[in-house]
Amino acid sequence: MSEGALVTEANRVELTRASSTLDEPKGGHGRGRKWRGLLWALPALVLLCLFVYWPLLLNFRYSVEQSNIFTGEQTFVGADNYVKMAGDPIFWRALGNNVLYSVVSVAFQVFGALILAAIIEGLRRERLRSWLRAIYFVPSAMSLTVTGLLFAFIYQPKGGLLNGLLESLGLGGLAQAWLGNPDTAMGAIIAMSQWQGFGYSTLLFAVAIQRIPSELYEAAAIDGIGPIRRVFSITIPLVREMTTLMIIVTLSGAFQVFNEVMVTTSGGPDNSTQVLGTWLYRSGFVKNDFGYAAAIAVVMFVITLTLAIVQVTIANRKRL
Amino acid sequence: MKNKIIAAIAAGGAITMALAGCGGGNGGTPAADVDLSEVTHEGTVSVITRYAGNYESFFEKMKADYEDMHPDVTIDLQQESDQGYKDKIKTLTASQSLPDIYFTWPGNYAEQFYDNGVALDLTEVIAPGTEWGDTMAPSALEAFTKEGVTYAVPFGLDAKFMVYNQKLFADAGVTVPETLEELIETCGTLRAAGITPMSFGNVDGWPALHYITQLNSYNVPAETLAADFKPETATFDHPGYAKSLEQFTEILTECTDSGTGANGVDYYTERDAFGAGKAAMFYVENLEFGATVPEGSQAEADGWDQFKLPAPSDAEGDTEALTGAPDGFLINSRSKNAALAVDFMKFVTSQENASELTAQMGIPSPVKDSLTEENSTPQLRESIDVLQSASSLSIWLDTVTVPDVADAFLSGVEGLISGARSPEDVMSSVQAASEQAKG
Repeated sequence: MSEGALVTEANRVELTRASSTLDEPKGGHGRGRKWRGLLWALPALVLLCLFVYWPLLLNFRYSVEQSNIFTGEQTFVGADNYVKMAGDPIFWRALGNNVLYSVVSVAFQVFGALILAAIIEGLRRERLRSWLRAIYFVPSAMSLTVTGLLFAFIYQPKGGLLNGLLESLGLGGLAQAWLGNPDTAMGAIIAMSQWQGFGYSTLLFAVAIQRIPSELYEAAAIDGIGPIRRVFSITIPLVREMTTLMIIVTLSGAFQVFNEVMVTTSGGPDNSTQVLGTWLYRSGFVKNDFGYAAAIAVVMFVITLTLAIVQVTIANRKRL
Repeated sequence: MKNKIIAAIAAGGAITMALAGCGGGNGGTPAADVDLSEVTHEGTVSVITRYAGNYESFFEKMKADYEDMHPDVTIDLQQESDQGYKDKIKTLTASQSLPDIYFTWPGNYAEQFYDNGVALDLTEVIAPGTEWGDTMAPSALEAFTKEGVTYAVPFGLDAKFMVYNQKLFADAGVTVPETLEELIETCGTLRAAGITPMSFGNVDGWPALHYITQLNSYNVPAETLAADFKPETATFDHPGYAKSLEQFTEILTECTDSGTGANGVDYYTERDAFGAGKAAMFYVENLEFGATVPEGSQAEADGWDQFKLPAPSDAEGDTEALTGAPDGFLINSRSKNAALAVDFMKFVTSQENASELTAQMGIPSPVKDSLTEENSTPQLRESIDVLQSASSLSIWLDTVTVPDVADAFLSGVEGLISGARSPEDVMSSVQAASEQAKG
């Protein structure tokens, strides 16, 4: 999901909350208003169906077919693509990398960002808070291609910044080809991704924290509650909706990750950094196996949908 | 809740959108009885190349010149980067939207288009013995001929050579090695003299495969290679394959500083290192000679030349083979302007424009006598002499094999470089991929 979409989603959460506090309109034009509302929504609905739901349905169909991209012939193969997937070690490695990516991302971009936002918003000087928010946000404003190139320089085995730093600290023995070593490549990509996404999550949490009435903190302070307890007793419970949203978005993003890998390793070396998105791409666009690629896409969809349903259900239960 | 579920569905759907555009289609058959001799100079011909960037000016000039000659013709030209082309051509193919003329590498890569009926049979116009065909080097046409059918127009002659810095060789007191064993010894002598013997980067995977391509042709008999490159007869069980991987590992260890970290080192950075006089050797395609040793570079000042990667003394295969192949262009069999498309390619590969290709882009053309003292360096002309005297051209391993096998070689060799895989392990993966490709 793009950052713009995330902001929109965040706004939607706030708007939904705000609108729920408004009185329902009174009068006898309910049905007319309903139809008029639907009419306004119709263009978006048509586009959504055409460009999202129809391709989604088609993709389910393609996942049970074998495609000849040259002739356009489609052959029904039943569950063959899924059976192949079950026995494909690279698929499982890719899935494992996605899981690792999501665990680290949730730890850093949700819980780490929440703690950092609480610390920043707890600072007394507004100017310092603004500066820190801006500093943390800057990496998110960079294009992923630029970030990939930047980190390629940082990770370069010869003359790279990271190896240079290690050598200057007397840790030259740890220097290596970070993106070229199957043991370190995935970690190096995940680290790059956290660097870029951390500040953005922090900013969103900072906005959520700013909306918490200051009276709550003042009352807690009068009652002798310390700053750490205030974070756990006031801040974290009151940004729960944002936390839920961030977990959904981060997990969905982690299972759809693609660009971060493509601009750094393209899934190599030796498929050690394959994630579901890049393995889908490689299966379809390199190996011409679009049926198999479609099956991987279905698995990605099922995972992200399940995660979203579970998260939303848990969040709703807590709210009740 | 519904909103969030919809958002999640939309997110998942977005991934599938690209795929949706790549399926479907009603198929089709090649245009029957296309008369390529009847050319009407009107209409539009769409062309896609992989020459965006430094090389794009040549085709822009061809488009402008051809449109000047034929005002009623429009050349709809798209130029992509190497990787961009690989992605785009698959999408165009899957959506049955191939342009009239499209670029290809030789080997299985080109054959898959011809075999599936989306590339035109050009035998009647370009096979040896025809007027156009006789202007081409026979080896270039051979690379695009299958069972007597020539299906592509050769465009650039590309082969792999080891360039070396003459001053650094002289400083270390070494000469051009004649066997692989001598090459390893040469590396040791250079290293002892404080000189980096060879620069090498494999972040893209294919640079290592170019070494393996050449070593395979030395260690595996030609007929075995030919059988293994056909999916239906492939076994990849000749011990020469593992031997090639061992020899490559020895080159990597003894000759390069990149070593097991080579997968994280950029090919082009290493190419620049040779140009800057920081390494004594670099394995490179002859069409890159100009970029490898740019005007005013240290390597140019030091003096440079090239040699073929030497064969091991106990080679079982063809020691006269050379890694290289022509690039080419296919004509879409469903093109409504096939005759015009062929005419445009005849224009592009005319003697005059072939010379222009070398002069402007540094790419040697397969058109006979197109290389002159005016438009090329002595090293480039010498490389073409070596190419023409080679017993056969070994097509790049990543295009001569089917995609599954190419992918197994690519990832396997990356694992070999990092030390995670043995040669036998790599070949097991290749054999498994080959078996899977048969199914």
